[in-house]
Amino acid sequence: MSVKPTIDIRGLTKQYSGTASPSLSDLTLQVMPGEVYGFLGPNGAGKSTTIRVLMNFLQPTAGSAEILGHDIVNDSVVIKQSVGYLAGDFDVYPKMTGTQFISYLAELHGNSSRKYASEIAKRLQAVTNKKLGELSRGQRQKIGIIQAFMHKPTVLILDEPSSGLDPLMQEVFYELVAEAKQRGAAIFISSHIMAEVQKICDRVGVIREGKLITERSVTDLATEAAQTFDVTFAGKPPVQVLKRIPGLTVTNHKDTQVTLHMHGELQQLFKLLGQHKIVSIDTRTLDLEEMFLHYYSDGGVK
Amino acid sequence: MNPIIKWTVWQRRISTLWWSIGVSFFMFINMIFYPTFKDQAAELQKSFESLPDAALQLFGGSSDFFSPVGFLNSQIFFIMLPLLLGILAISLGSTLIAREEQDHTVESLLSRPISRTKLLFSKATAGLILLSIVTLVSLVTTVVVSKVVDISVPTINIVAVTLACYVLAVSFGAIAFLLTAIGKTRGLSMGIGTVMALGGYIISSLAGTVTWLKGPSYIFPFHYYESEAILRGHFSWSNIIILTLVIAFCALLSWLFFRKRDLA
Repeated sequence: MSVKPTIDIRGLTKQYSGTASPSLSDLTLQVMPGEVYGFLGPNGAGKSTTIRVLMNFLQPTAGSAEILGHDIVNDSVVIKQSVGYLAGDFDVYPKMTGTQFISYLAELHGNSSRKYASEIAKRLQAVTNKKLGELSRGQRQKIGIIQAFMHKPTVLILDEPSSGLDPLMQEVFYELVAEAKQRGAAIFISSHIMAEVQKICDRVGVIREGKLITERSVTDLATEAAQTFDVTFAGKPPVQVLKRIPGLTVTNHKDTQVTLHMHGELQQLFKLLGQHKIVSIDTRTLDLEEMFLHYYSDGGVK
Repeated sequence: MNPIIKWTVWQRRISTLWWSIGVSFFMFINMIFYPTFKDQAAELQKSFESLPDAALQLFGGSSDFFSPVGFLNSQIFFIMLPLLLGILAISLGSTLIAREEQDHTVESLLSRPISRTKLLFSKATAGLILLSIVTLVSLVTTVVVSKVVDISVPTINIVAVTLACYVLAVSFGAIAFLLTAIGKTRGLSMGIGTVMALGGYIISSLAGTVTWLKGPSYIFPFHYYESEAILRGHFSWSNIIILTLVIAFCALLSWLFFRKRDLA
């Protein structure tokens, strides 16, 4: 029997009244149980709109989506029993303390484990006894992470979750994501931090002007990116000769440095390089940022 | 108790305390000088009777200001209490949902297994509880001070007029609540609510002398609030029913719009 996607989005469209074009157009994607899906795009691309439609804060104009087999519009309350959510612009009641806020949301949830919430707070070194209005952005973000994870949800929808966290706390957050993935949770993360996506995601989707323009597994990206080389020549690089090699693209050329993308056999490339004096050669393992920029340059739209 | 109701009431405990103190203070100040007025009633009565009819209407439609009923009506129940409770109700109605939405905290609430209906119901209930507390304090103040300064109006009539005033204030609050529930801003909701309250007071008051205002006055809740008649023991259930229907209609529309609309 095939495994059903935890998040199943089909042709989801959202157009705000009074706007000429939709903010989200015909989005179709699936997130499987135990999968971490990275949703990439610059500001205004439609990431937060997608998330807010999934959370039923916005009504879709067309299309549909299911979470755990339930319709996001009609079964929103049932879905939210199993969803952990962190908003991109996570805001709090300034006069509540972290503990009060967590208790309030736990009470609304009904089945949240405050023991687990305390455990996460300890790991994140969150300040929970001060008024939320007095906390730094990073500390407030920690409270946001606690409230999203505290009931061990089977679906996590996180909008820019690690923004404001220091590198040490980002690592703790990645551990929490890994643990949730281990439990079989489907995790949908929108992010700007490429290194983060690269580190924790299984698959990425890139959205531009409300449309999903590509979807790739991080493993595929790693394989492709392994054939990207930064070469520094001792003299002038033989750019024209390099361009004649089948499957090779010169993506960057500056003075004595060239960046090469190579699809196919490497033999011919290395044979040519062997005929020149090379100062250094670097192989990239993965550069998601480059992929991101590629898809956001006009030529990258497919 | 529902955590949303509990937290909303707790969050506003200090402002409700100040409202209660403020309203009681106004009642006290307005009533405490009754013995002085009573002594000079005959002279003052003559001066007031010489006022134009339209001006008299704005004080309660009667030239009887210094009898116990006339004093309580003109000083407390005709304008002051409806205005104070109305301001509180409009302020609650226009912020209970709108502030959560404006501060984006509504997303934290609705990311839990809470329906929008439950959120709306909880917020409205919290608003009614807060308004009830201030109303109750004002009622106790009126009853106690009226005993102290010997304003001999039956307590049951004071209770009845306070209840009518409460229902009137709730109708103002319900209009403001509806406006934020359909997605209007806090400021607009507060403005329209105030226009309905103050405009209704002026139009309904003047409708007694300006005949062409009689028709428009029916659309304002203030038209269905007859404080002097209630103080004299003529309680109109039909007025209360009409105001309750206005509240129910606003609540129904709020629910219909809020459960399906986009959050800001």
